[in-house]
Amino acid sequence: MSILSLQDVSKDYLTDGQPVHALNGLSLNVERGEFVALVGRSGCGKSTLLNLAGAMDFPTSGKVLVDGVSTSSLKDGGLTRLRRERVGFIFQSFQLLHTLTVFENVELPLLLAGKRYPREVAQERLAWVNLEGLGDRYPHQLSGGQMQRVAIARALIHSPSILLADEPTGNLDTTTGNVILELLRRLTREQNTAIVVATHSLEAASLANTLVRLRDGKIEEITRC
Amino acid sequence: MPLFVLFYRLMVRPLFREPVRTLLTILAIALGVAVVLAIDLAGSAATGSFRSSMETLAGESDLEVVTSGGVPENVVGTLATLPYSIRVSPRIEDYGVIVDTKKALPLIGLDLVAEGSAYAQSETQKTAESQTQDDSEHVFEHLGDADSIWVGSSVGYKTGRRVELLINDQVRKYTVRGVYPDSHGNESAIVMDLAAAQNALCRYGRVDRILLKVPGTPGLEDWQQRLRTVLPAGVEVRPQGTGTNENRRMLAAFGWNLRLLSYISLVVGAFLIYNTISVSVVRRRPEIGIVRALGASRGVILSAFVGEAVCFGLAGALIGLPLGRLMATGAVRLMAATVESLYVSSRPGTIELNAESVLLALVIGVGVAVASSYSPAREGSQVSPVEAMARGRREYDVRVHKARDLWLALALGLAAAVASRAPAVAGKPFLGYLAAILLVAAAALAMPAFVDALTSVSSKLLGKLFGVEAMLASRSLAASLRRTSVLVGALSTAIAMMTAVGIMVGSFRQTVVLWMSDQLPADLYLRPAGSAAADRHPTLSSGLAEELARLPGVAAVERLRAYEISYQDMPATLASADLNVLRSYHHSDFFSGRPKAQVLAELRDSNAVIVSEPFTYKHHLKTGDSITLSLGETQASFLITDVYYDYSSERGSTAPSNLAIYVSPGAQLDVVRAEIEKATADRRVLLFSNRDLRSEAIRIFDRTFAITYALEAVAVLVAVMGIAGALLALVIDRRRELGLLHFLGAATGQVRKLIRVEAGLLGLLANFAGLALGFALSLILIYVINKQSFGWTIRFHWPVEVLLGALTVVYGATVLAGLYPAKVAVHLNPLEVVHEE
Ligand SMILES: Nc1ncnc2c1ncn2[C@@H]1O[C@H](COP(=O)(O)OP(=O)(O)OP(=O)(O)O)[C@@H](O)[C@H]1O
Ligand SMILES: [Mg+2]
Repeated sequence: MSILSLQDVSKDYLTDGQPVHALNGLSLNVERGEFVALVGRSGCGKSTLLNLAGAMDFPTSGKVLVDGVSTSSLKDGGLTRLRRERVGFIFQSFQLLHTLTVFENVELPLLLAGKRYPREVAQERLAWVNLEGLGDRYPHQLSGGQMQRVAIARALIHSPSILLADEPTGNLDTTTGNVILELLRRLTREQNTAIVVATHSLEAASLANTLVRLRDGKIEEITRC
Repeated sequence: MPLFVLFYRLMVRPLFREPVRTLLTILAIALGVAVVLAIDLAGSAATGSFRSSMETLAGESDLEVVTSGGVPENVVGTLATLPYSIRVSPRIEDYGVIVDTKKALPLIGLDLVAEGSAYAQSETQKTAESQTQDDSEHVFEHLGDADSIWVGSSVGYKTGRRVELLINDQVRKYTVRGVYPDSHGNESAIVMDLAAAQNALCRYGRVDRILLKVPGTPGLEDWQQRLRTVLPAGVEVRPQGTGTNENRRMLAAFGWNLRLLSYISLVVGAFLIYNTISVSVVRRRPEIGIVRALGASRGVILSAFVGEAVCFGLAGALIGLPLGRLMATGAVRLMAATVESLYVSSRPGTIELNAESVLLALVIGVGVAVASSYSPAREGSQVSPVEAMARGRREYDVRVHKARDLWLALALGLAAAVASRAPAVAGKPFLGYLAAILLVAAAALAMPAFVDALTSVSSKLLGKLFGVEAMLASRSLAASLRRTSVLVGALSTAIAMMTAVGIMVGSFRQTVVLWMSDQLPADLYLRPAGSAAADRHPTLSSGLAEELARLPGVAAVERLRAYEISYQDMPATLASADLNVLRSYHHSDFFSGRPKAQVLAELRDSNAVIVSEPFTYKHHLKTGDSITLSLGETQASFLITDVYYDYSSERGSTAPSNLAIYVSPGAQLDVVRAEIEKATADRRVLLFSNRDLRSEAIRIFDRTFAITYALEAVAVLVAVMGIAGALLALVIDRRRELGLLHFLGAATGQVRKLIRVEAGLLGLLANFAGLALGFALSLILIYVINKQSFGWTIRFHWPVEVLLGALTVVYGATVLAGLYPAKVAVHLNPLEVVHEE
């Protein structure tokens, strides 16, 4: 079974009474361990798709299934559990909490899920992203690349089955961005985690197993390498 | 003009985007303004109209002749026969109670034949038209009758009405012979002929006061000089109304303290404005940078933020005006109760919301806003264009000079300690107030260090105890240190004032309770049924004590007599008691700590007196000094043999004129009580058991201080509203973080809990700081301010239950204040807030 399945999904936004079709009858399956790159012009619906996939938002019509469960059928508690167990998010602007240390940032999802002793796992995840020894620093004492690596460690802390990354290299220079993308590919392959990356970068596209080209809320082209 | 457009677009319009928060801030200011205004209005209504009821019908007199125990009647003759054209009006002054309505009215005996016919005549003229043509001779006929009285029209009686009056402990029947108009703000009174009044009050051969109207030249002082030479020793001539002025001065001290209390809410409001403008500056750093880069000067930025504060102040003042008027009504009621139980029966005047009060509201509203916004506004104006546009990584990273502020706090604390040791200035504890203000300022400055220390210690512990939400809450409070400090500062100031006044009043109450167990050792107390107050002491018939002492089961009857006297232009109460009874039953504390038998032996022998402790304090006396009192026509010197604690009234009186009855050891209280009731059936007296009397005294005490509790409650309300507003701002400013938590798997309940824990933490910090500061303030209140302004010595006492109750309520209120912000936090859309940047 696909870890993520979008079935004839449409998403409309109402702006000033006018409907905007952000997604328009889109269908897509993502398998475990698959690396999917979403590309397309600004406003084509990449972020919208990721939000639906992460159960942070819901389709106007059609179905979004995460690990076989329709997100629209879940109540608040079920959605929270889904995010705690299956999904990891990575953002363009890192979104670390400035008041917490690196360790504490990484541990946060486990703590929110009520796990008692998350430090060991956090240490391991930081090792994955090559940040051993920086755990007690605060985010403002890190470079952008380091911050994004902390964010990756955080997104992986609960071993999600799918990682959703919205322009993870958008705030980084090309070299650093490539390092981050490489890291993401290695880790998801090792953990058999699916990853969907919305990106403008060609490098990201070249790393992917599947390249999805969006246009006006529709899939224009799917390339599998 | 374009600047105004800009001001509207950049500063005012954003306020409407957070209507709840804006409203909360404005309401907090409004309440602060309202309280100050209410106390101001109520103060002038309750004390401005204050006049001893005895000044009713004083006419246009210049001088008064008085002495303790009454002026001998022959003085009237002496004065009247002087070769000057002085109008001499002797008066008997006391109180009578109309039996039907239980209304206490001044009872004034005038020489009606000589002067008072004016009252009768005016009545005659009025009735002449409606009733049968009365011969004025007919009216004069009754002037000298022992049962004739004249009453003010507001009493509502018609001529000819038979009225029963309770005078001291006896009821007599009188006939209303006339009604005089008293509608011009005069309190009404019962007027009777001098002789009749002397008769009714058993005050033969003496009058209470002689009013004099002297010719315009020479001056009053010269007349006083001149008259003094013809008066017997001990009889004093002074400007008319001096006694009232003395009372008024006392009342002013009380009002002055209330007024200061009323400013607390304003101080709390100032904290909140400071916070609001700080938040506004922090939020707009990038905006400031852009505007500066586009050509705005520092001054423009400064005035923009001060202007924002002025908007709050103005709106607050405008709402505060009607609110204050409304609250004044309640305040007058509470204050009148105080005035009445402490001083005299006085009727509060009307509350007038005039141009002055409008101005006061505007000035304090806008003034507080400008003053408290200046510092953050200045900080905003110093943002450089580059700095602001390159937005820092830490949004809330505002400079806080923790260490420097801590040193400053220490310095201010020391200054406060020094100021608290200083003596009173012109009878007012100005330096005591200064010490209190310095302490509050010191606490405000020490707050960042305190909050930082506590939150960093607590975050680990809280995380363990209450989960990740508590840890996050504690962290985010520590991260926005300045904001948190100001909030904790505001709330803790309110709590501190509440604690301080609570401790002070509680200690006072406890001291009174202790005092009563010393001063009220008897089993039963008897006093005339007419209401007593500090300036009147109705008396019991003289034979009653002996009569009661003979009853079976009565061990002893102690007689207490209180007189109002004047000592060095301050009112005081002279009390005398049967020393033999005193010796056997009292176990009062004397200052010297000597055995009381010895003190009392000295007292009986010579011209010795014991005086109460407030008396010594007021008049700078100590044991061994001698004082001179005017008693009757003699000036007598007394040696102060000892000083005892006394709290019955700040003038240092013992109990009002009454009997203290000791029941024999074997006898049953109920039986004796019934016996006494039977024996006094023909007299109007009130019999209290010891317990009744104490609980009555405590009831009066609590009523007196009710208004202080009301003021504190408002201050706390202001603080809690401020907390709600500030938390709301905190939620808005941290929406990105709160939204992110959803992405990371936080449940709705967890976000809600986070904000509530934050509110709870704020409350806890404020309670800690407030309790500590409050304790320090209570010491200043008890040992400096009260001592200097009233002369009370209060023994320190922790009113544990009251404080615990109050703090719990405050804490609960803070947690409640977190509910709405928590709701807002939960309803934030995580998608919008996270992708916003
Ligand atoms: N909350 C919203 N309300 C209204 N319209 C929205 C909302 N979010 C997105 N849209 C619209 O939906 C369409 C798709 O937006 P989306 O953010 O998915 O684009 P994107 O592909 O992520 O673009 P970019 O590459 O610039 O991030 C756009 O036309 C956008 O204007
Ligand atoms: Mg996007």
